[in-house]
Amino acid sequence: MSSYRIAIVGSKEAVAGFALLGVDVVPMQETEDAVTELMRLKKAIRIEDGRERNVYGIVFVAEHLMTKLSQEDLKRLSRGALPAIIPLPSHHGSSGYGLERLKKIVERAVGSDILK
Amino acid sequence: MALLRVNPTRMALMELKRSTTSAKRGHKLLKDKQDGLMQQFLVTIRSAKELRMRVEAELGQAFMSFLTASAWLSDAEVENALSSPQATIELAVETRSVMGVKIPFFRLKKEGTVRNYGYSQTNTLLDRAIDAFDNAFETLIRLAEIEKQAENMAIELETTRRRVNALEHKMIPDLQETVKYIKLRLDEAERAGIIATMRVKASMKD
Repeated sequence: MSSYRIAIVGSKEAVAGFALLGVDVVPMQETEDAVTELMRLKKAIRIEDGRERNVYGIVFVAEHLMTKLSQEDLKRLSRGALPAIIPLPSHHGSSGYGLERLKKIVERAVGSDILK
Repeated sequence: MALLRVNPTRMALMELKRSTTSAKRGHKLLKDKQDGLMQQFLVTIRSAKELRMRVEAELGQAFMSFLTASAWLSDAEVENALSSPQATIELAVETRSVMGVKIPFFRLKKEGTVRNYGYSQTNTLLDRAIDAFDNAFETLIRLAEIEKQAENMAIELETTRRRVNALEHKMIPDLQETVKYIKLRLDEAERAGIIATMRVKASMKD
């Protein structure tokens, strides 16, 4: 058991509410390169007891940033045990991306969408 | 189905029979793993879906109250209020193995107070908004945990399903067919041998 940090990525308005909770806020405009930034957070490593560990346990990402990622990048990001990269609805409201993602996960595991 | 490229000899036959049995055993084991994982996965994904809906509702509320709060304040005031977080959050992670899949369990350790801003330049709406985010955060962690678990299981399920299918529909039939082919060839060679001896014997009588 070891402790990790939590990061949240998104536009300023989307992450502002979380700023006081003690999470690492990574403000990012929609035009920026979300993939490299997420990869950087995923690859961030610290040394604990002589072993390499991820810095971040969870990375929350605003939905509208996730929608722009390609399938391949998403697959690369979801590989490995940690961090968990989780899309969140932003201040624009839910775009249904989160549920869409769950649907993809089911399709991957079962072969067809059995949740409806 | 394709025949495997082996010499039709007794050695190869033995070897193939052995690998057929181990392939069958592997197939059964993997199938069991797949069934077990699938059971777990379905439970997880159902609660993930429920939780996801709840989070979206909760966060929607939180964003709403945050927007109303910031409507009363200038941008600078909001920024000032949010600029110096005092609370710290640490995430304790424990990984457990379910059917050979590592799945994470998260626990949150919070310290310090969240409302760390002067009251003179803010309003109670902001207090409520921050509280809403604070409350939603617990649920968010649960969601992250359960979605990551589901994701990891899905990845493992996919590979297991591929393996099971490959064994069931390609490897085992191929092996069985090759075994049959070698048996036929050996029988044929045996009969040919007998006939040859019979013919030699018959020609010696004359």
